[in-house]
Amino acid sequence: MKIFTQKCCAVTFLVALLAIATQATTLEQMDLAHLAHAAQVVARVRCLSSESRRESGHIWTFTRFSVVETMQGALDATLLVRLPGGRDGHLVEGVEGVPRFLPGEETVLFLERTRTGDWSVTAWAEGTFRIERDARTGRERVTQDSSRMPVFDRATRTFRAQGIARMPMSNFREKLAAAIGR
Amino acid sequence: MNQRPYRRTHRTARLLAAALLAMRLAAPMTAGAYSLNYQVADMCQPSSVSGGTSCPLPTRFDTSVAGSINRRWSASLGTNPATILTANQTPSGQLAEIANTITTDFGIWTGVSGTTLSLAVLAPLGQTSVQDACDSSDGLNTICFNQPDAAFTTGVLSFTRVVTADIVGEQAGPGTPLSTFPGEILDADILLRPGDSTVTFATPAALASNPNAYDLETILAHELGHFFGLGHSGVWAAMMQPFAPGPGEFFGTRPTAQSPDAPLADDDRAGLRVLYPDPTDTTHIGVISGHVLPANSLELPAGTTEVFGAQVVAVDAATGNVVAATLGGWSCSDPGPPQFDGFYEIQRLAVGPTQAYIVYAEPLDGPLEPTDVRGDTTALCRNAITDASWPAHFSCTVPAVNDEFSTKVGAGP
Repeated sequence: MKIFTQKCCAVTFLVALLAIATQATTLEQMDLAHLAHAAQVVARVRCLSSESRRESGHIWTFTRFSVVETMQGALDATLLVRLPGGRDGHLVEGVEGVPRFLPGEETVLFLERTRTGDWSVTAWAEGTFRIERDARTGRERVTQDSSRMPVFDRATRTFRAQGIARMPMSNFREKLAAAIGR
Repeated sequence: MNQRPYRRTHRTARLLAAALLAMRLAAPMTAGAYSLNYQVADMCQPSSVSGGTSCPLPTRFDTSVAGSINRRWSASLGTNPATILTANQTPSGQLAEIANTITTDFGIWTGVSGTTLSLAVLAPLGQTSVQDACDSSDGLNTICFNQPDAAFTTGVLSFTRVVTADIVGEQAGPGTPLSTFPGEILDADILLRPGDSTVTFATPAALASNPNAYDLETILAHELGHFFGLGHSGVWAAMMQPFAPGPGEFFGTRPTAQSPDAPLADDDRAGLRVLYPDPTDTTHIGVISGHVLPANSLELPAGTTEVFGAQVVAVDAATGNVVAATLGGWSCSDPGPPQFDGFYEIQRLAVGPTQAYIVYAEPLDGPLEPTDVRGDTTALCRNAITDASWPAHFSCTVPAVNDEFSTKVGAGP
């Protein structure tokens, strides 16, 4: 049996096992401008707490955020976001492509009201931008949850894996301002 | 102490690859092959209901009873606009065409040999006129084409809800069957976005005349893979690979009566055989396992004894076809918890006197990255942070995926 390692295996297979992302959920490709157009609010938020409970036959996760900065629209000082899936007692309801948040984590979220009047995240993973601080430089970087997900581009009618990954916050702000201003 | 010693040195390190590699016929609970979803049982409960192990368990249906997996679909299709496009435009013909597509899609998965997921364990395909029939608490596995679910936001075209239990004796809702093992799927619903004229789905018969629509058969086949417990595959040819065909296109080969599972790749079949192994199967009993080792074990991150998060793939030596892939890095023996020891295992491979496989490994350093497997890896452990008063001796924390090593670049398979 021959044993060696190589990178060109990627030609034949994609590194995978994306249990939380992608096609169990199918998303339409949306750039920043489309996201900003679809969202009622864009805000930088910090996760305070998260809890799941059953409601209307499904398990939902309700995450409370403090609003650090509102970039589009208006919000109160705190925000409650409702997303499908979560754990309720001994039951877990899984929905791929739905962002989850940990207390203390900072994100930029594109938000819209659902038909129930609750806040939710536009296009789920696409409307979620995680903020991390570079350990060496101390500078903030932004990564879109869907940046490695294949999502549908309505214009070209193809699925493409693209998005914002590890972009300096200053650059992201510029792009976002341009997208909101369109 | 340098905070990043591992990154600095491993950029130039050479992976020693699999130091231990063996073909054998029996396997302990391991990293699990392919892409499965996992559930860790509630170890705060008595072993009679937890099962007594904190080893991650793949989520799957109970196939021990004939006809036990119910299935139905909502015949509410919406009219303005219609979500599903058919060739037959008569009301009865339209419903028959959709039902036929759904039946064919279930047949794709039950057509795989060497599994207990046979047609016999599925209940007859039911139909309901209820529009909002996809309810996670009713224990009814339902496909909905016209449910304006509150979960839909702009940009979400379809999704699947899968409900699992982490103990024995749990119910999806009142009056529904009790779970018989932790990780059992108790309810699975597939929802397609309704009421959007720019997002439609066409049956195979209607696809050619509706090139802007998605192929319903392909979308449902993939979703049913998740429905039955599979995650995404890294094999390009697999039905469970994460890249869906665009509108007007379908994936692979259409199923036939002779080859109902024709759209699937070997990786899909192998994954299903792992989830639902047939004890009478004497063909797919091969296991390749081993450890992915670093050149210098002193450079490993905390919490690991070997490389965690390496992609491992088995290739048929004769044909060059990719047979199966897995994410290596951990193993688990009852009662757990998992050990992050670099172990990988690819199960349910065909065996024979001339059958041979080539095994490759590479780090998660692109095209995908560690953040992409966050969902898989975080499901492996529970601890006091995830569950208050979780027993310490069953606690673990998933280490960071190890992508800080280099591998030798060679010719493709």
